[in-house]
Amino acid sequence: MPAPDPASAPSLSREAPGNGNASPFRPRLFRIASYRDETPDVRTFRLERADGGGPLRWRPGQFVHVSVFGAGEAVFTLASSPSRGETVECTVRAVGKVTEALRGLGEGDVVGVRGPYGTAFPVDEWRGSDLAFVGGGIGMAALRAPLQWVLDHREEYGEIVVLNGARTVADLAYKDEMGEWGAVPATRVVRTVDPGGESPGWDGEVGLLPQVFERLALAPQGRIVVTCGPPVMLHYMFLALGRMGYAPERVVTTLENKMKCGLGLCGRCNVGRFFVCTDGPVVTWARLQGLPEDL
Amino acid sequence: MSTAFDRNGSWSLDAADLRAWIGGLVGSGARVVAPAEREGLWTFRPLRSGEELALPAGFPAWSPKEFLFPRTETLFRYESSGGEPGLEDPVREDVPQVLFGLAPCDAAGLVRLDAVLGADPAYASRRALTTVVTLACDAARPECFCTTVGGSPHGEEGGDLLLVPSDGAFLLRPLTRKGTELAAGASASWAPATAEAWERARARLREVAEAVGRSPLAHGFAEGLERRFGSRAWQQVGRRCLGCSICTYVCPSCSCFDIQDEGSPGCGRRCRIWDSCTFGLFTLHASGHNPRPNQAARYRQRVLHKFSSYPLEHGGVPMCVGCGRCVRLCPAGLDVRETVERVLAEGKEPRHAGP
Repeated sequence: MPAPDPASAPSLSREAPGNGNASPFRPRLFRIASYRDETPDVRTFRLERADGGGPLRWRPGQFVHVSVFGAGEAVFTLASSPSRGETVECTVRAVGKVTEALRGLGEGDVVGVRGPYGTAFPVDEWRGSDLAFVGGGIGMAALRAPLQWVLDHREEYGEIVVLNGARTVADLAYKDEMGEWGAVPATRVVRTVDPGGESPGWDGEVGLLPQVFERLALAPQGRIVVTCGPPVMLHYMFLALGRMGYAPERVVTTLENKMKCGLGLCGRCNVGRFFVCTDGPVVTWARLQGLPEDL
Repeated sequence: MSTAFDRNGSWSLDAADLRAWIGGLVGSGARVVAPAEREGLWTFRPLRSGEELALPAGFPAWSPKEFLFPRTETLFRYESSGGEPGLEDPVREDVPQVLFGLAPCDAAGLVRLDAVLGADPAYASRRALTTVVTLACDAARPECFCTTVGGSPHGEEGGDLLLVPSDGAFLLRPLTRKGTELAAGASASWAPATAEAWERARARLREVAEAVGRSPLAHGFAEGLERRFGSRAWQQVGRRCLGCSICTYVCPSCSCFDIQDEGSPGCGRRCRIWDSCTFGLFTLHASGHNPRPNQAARYRQRVLHKFSSYPLEHGGVPMCVGCGRCVRLCPAGLDVRETVERVLAEGKEPRHAGP
């Protein structure tokens, strides 16, 4: 795949990967300013530039490679909106080598960051539409940046519904923020856990996320659905959306795949003619339907 | 240098002329890489003198790509013993480089690599300093299939100079300005090639091309394969794949890589390493999900990338140059030519079926 040409790239789809002869693999240094535990194994890190360079410029939906030197790099969605300032937030579940190492770091420790990479959510095209954000588990992290963006530009959008689901109450991310989201005018937040995942006193919904979404019976007219979650959830989510009459062009998701370079070079995230790192990660359900089932 | 590029100029050289030329290039500080034999194994190696040039040479078991795209390459070093990490770029050891005696398939392979890795500064820097001398084939090996994928045993793609065997000696013709410049220092002492010598050499080259004996891929092969993503044939063929990835490692055009840290948290390097889509770990997510959960799915990805998705995005050119190394070395006897033909012979099936 040829390198994305910044000059000819559509402004909303690609970022220039490198600059001149500088190594595109050399990260910039960021300091962990603070962190907050979302669940027993999910932590949100706030990162500030530590090498004297300028702040990161990104759009909601893009991702970065975060380095823990000695452990390696891993891809994380930028979980905060640029409308909330220049500090970068990443919400990370400890599941592998790099994420475990990251969890071992504390405030003031330095990590590497390169990016941003990939496509962004078309938040400008969404103006005037009703929106539903449907996130399953750690998938909600990928929806937080566009959600913050539309909440920060509230008057430009219609009704907003947030459906945040997890296996159990303990696994629900952003518990502390959902109240703030729901307090924004014409914004409704629905929390749900899988059957058996409720704890005493739970006052949210119980059910598999696609079923709960279907029960909400949100009319597809004038609405965009933005969804992210594990592959099995998305499979049933698309079936539900189809039953409800949503057009595939009006459903947006963001893809997860193993990525090493972020530049369309290493070949790892390639699916058919599609590279998740440069053609994605943000795609419509319509585009996804045209890809081979290899994700 | 401003040597005029004369495409029609050519010379006739004997082995001594070639060795003297190579010797001069080595002496000037260039790295000259050519086929060399050690304990029965032919590989591309840097020569220390013109006398080391093997004529005739065997066909190297590995492609020459490692001289542009190293098997392992340092991206940067990190050091944090004093507190905060410091990063240091690797020292570039790029020198003028001559890749000498590449078969036309291997020279074409470099052009395929350019299409992917040309955007990488380290690769591009080495590539700019590299001149390629192609040696036309004087025989076809049983696994050769360059003519299937648009090549030829005397193909010029990727070469800066073309060397053609001729009655025990060689005809040499520049193909690019870079090639003309490489010959400039030595060509004054070379005899001009005669039209008769070229006539005899071309007749021989035509015989070799016929000996390859492979017809081009069927019209519309890339679209046809894309439509057959769900064909049952992938499972039938691909389940024989052991996942050893030798096909990728010896391939002149495979360019996938991994990135890993080597060292301790306090001191080490980040490096880029050859990798292969036929390894199960290639796509395994940290969550445990693997989008290509079986070997047939991984084998399909390699074949489809080379013969379908890449050509569909690159003007119909396959990501394969027909060198035949993968056919020769596959321990399970998989033959990519047969796989492509087999799948294309299947009826169209829905994209959601398959491995």
